[in-house]
Amino acid sequence: MSPTAALSLRGLTKRYDNGFLALEELALDVPDGAFFGLLGPNGAGKTTLISAICNLIRVTEGEISVFGHDHETLGARRLIGLAEQDVNLDRFLDVEETLLYHGGYYGMERAHARHRAAEMMDVFDLRAKAHVRAPMLSGGMRRRLLLARALMHEPRLVILDEPTAGVDFELRMELWAYIRRLHCEGTTILLTTHYLEEAEELCQEIALLRGGRLLARDSAPGLRSAFEADSLAGAYVKAMAS
Amino acid sequence: MTELVARRRGLLALSRREAHRVLKLWTQTVAAPILSSFLFILVFGLSLGGRIKHIDGIDYDVFIVPGLITMAMIQATYANNSASVFQARFDRYLNDVLAAPMRPWEINLALSIGGVVRALLIGAGLLACALAVVDVPIQHPLALTAAVALALVLFSSFGVIVGIYASSWDHTAFVTNIVILPLSFLGGVFYSVDTLPSPWHEISHANPIFYLLNAVRYGFLGTSDVSVGLSLAVSGVLAAAMVAWSSWLFRTGHRLKP
Repeated sequence: MSPTAALSLRGLTKRYDNGFLALEELALDVPDGAFFGLLGPNGAGKTTLISAICNLIRVTEGEISVFGHDHETLGARRLIGLAEQDVNLDRFLDVEETLLYHGGYYGMERAHARHRAAEMMDVFDLRAKAHVRAPMLSGGMRRRLLLARALMHEPRLVILDEPTAGVDFELRMELWAYIRRLHCEGTTILLTTHYLEEAEELCQEIALLRGGRLLARDSAPGLRSAFEADSLAGAYVKAMAS
Repeated sequence: MTELVARRRGLLALSRREAHRVLKLWTQTVAAPILSSFLFILVFGLSLGGRIKHIDGIDYDVFIVPGLITMAMIQATYANNSASVFQARFDRYLNDVLAAPMRPWEINLALSIGGVVRALLIGAGLLACALAVVDVPIQHPLALTAAVALALVLFSSFGVIVGIYASSWDHTAFVTNIVILPLSFLGGVFYSVDTLPSPWHEISHANPIFYLLNAVRYGFLGTSDVSVGLSLAVSGVLAAAMVAWSSWLFRTGHRLKP
């Protein structure tokens, strides 16, 4: 394991109770400060991998380290921020409460959490909706709130599971700009997406997953070259067909 | 103290969230159960009480109050926690909690708090309403405190467990309607089990709610169908079993984490 790895996976295997093998002997290092993409078709194991890192599923075998800490430790959990693919907001809470309670779950002191929540609402243009409950928000606003919640406790590793799925072009550009800024400030980003141009535009390195196994890992130009393709889409298609 | 609070911020925040949910929906979570139980006191106690004069030397309208308070509290704590946990799983916002830096016992305890807060508000509110129409004494406050504490621990943990195992809203409602409500009625809310003929008298002793109800009744009225020591012991064993079961679920992630 590299001493600077934000995320290190060794022999990671996940077999669900129904026998489905979602991840098989996966090994991967994501360097501190990287903008790292995970690409693969539905069922490739992207969401399972993210769930394993965030302690949302039970790992069958293998090790996961987050900045050198075992992923199950409280210290490791504090370092991770997760925006899931599905909008999983607490229906009883309004925007501000969602952020404040999340801050509390992550051990933030109340005054600090209030300050940070105000900052997040400003950054994601949620201030006018501060006292609106999550189910009453538009799809775009919910997506912003998911991202704001993931960043609320200032994690060093931010995991974004298809953050721009189903959002309009303007919001997509806004989210790209914010994620880029976050990365420039030193945050490690792990992004899964189905949009190949998104991965090519944002990610320094991309891992291709299929059937729970790592097929390839390189920069977008590196993948194009390795698969003798003109575009990332071409490299992706060849990798998946191989 | 400050350091202890700092170390337990996650526990405190999740507990606050659960209590917040109860208070936000107070008409549904607190006022409605108080009203329905108070109607029982008015209809059964004051109306039917004219026909049934005394049980164990106690006026009927007074006799039924401890049982109704117990029934309202255990139903509320169970229903609250099973619904809150199931909703959190169903909408998947429980993931925000499961991913957070909290220990399994902290999550378990915090998710139990909502039901406890709700039950205490209902118990206090119903007692206040009852005192307005009948004179209910508190003969043994320590026994009453112990009995209420065990009832809350038992049914708040049971609610969390059912919320974890349930795969539809029907499952949580099924337990209320088919298990808790009948056992409460048959546990002697409206009558003394001592008045039942054999074998119903003996069968009633297999009902766990019978023991809880009698422990609470002893705390209020100083009378019980069974020794208070046995009532508290049975309730204590059941409460410990439920806590152990819910703790195991959170520690292992069984049903919570695929």
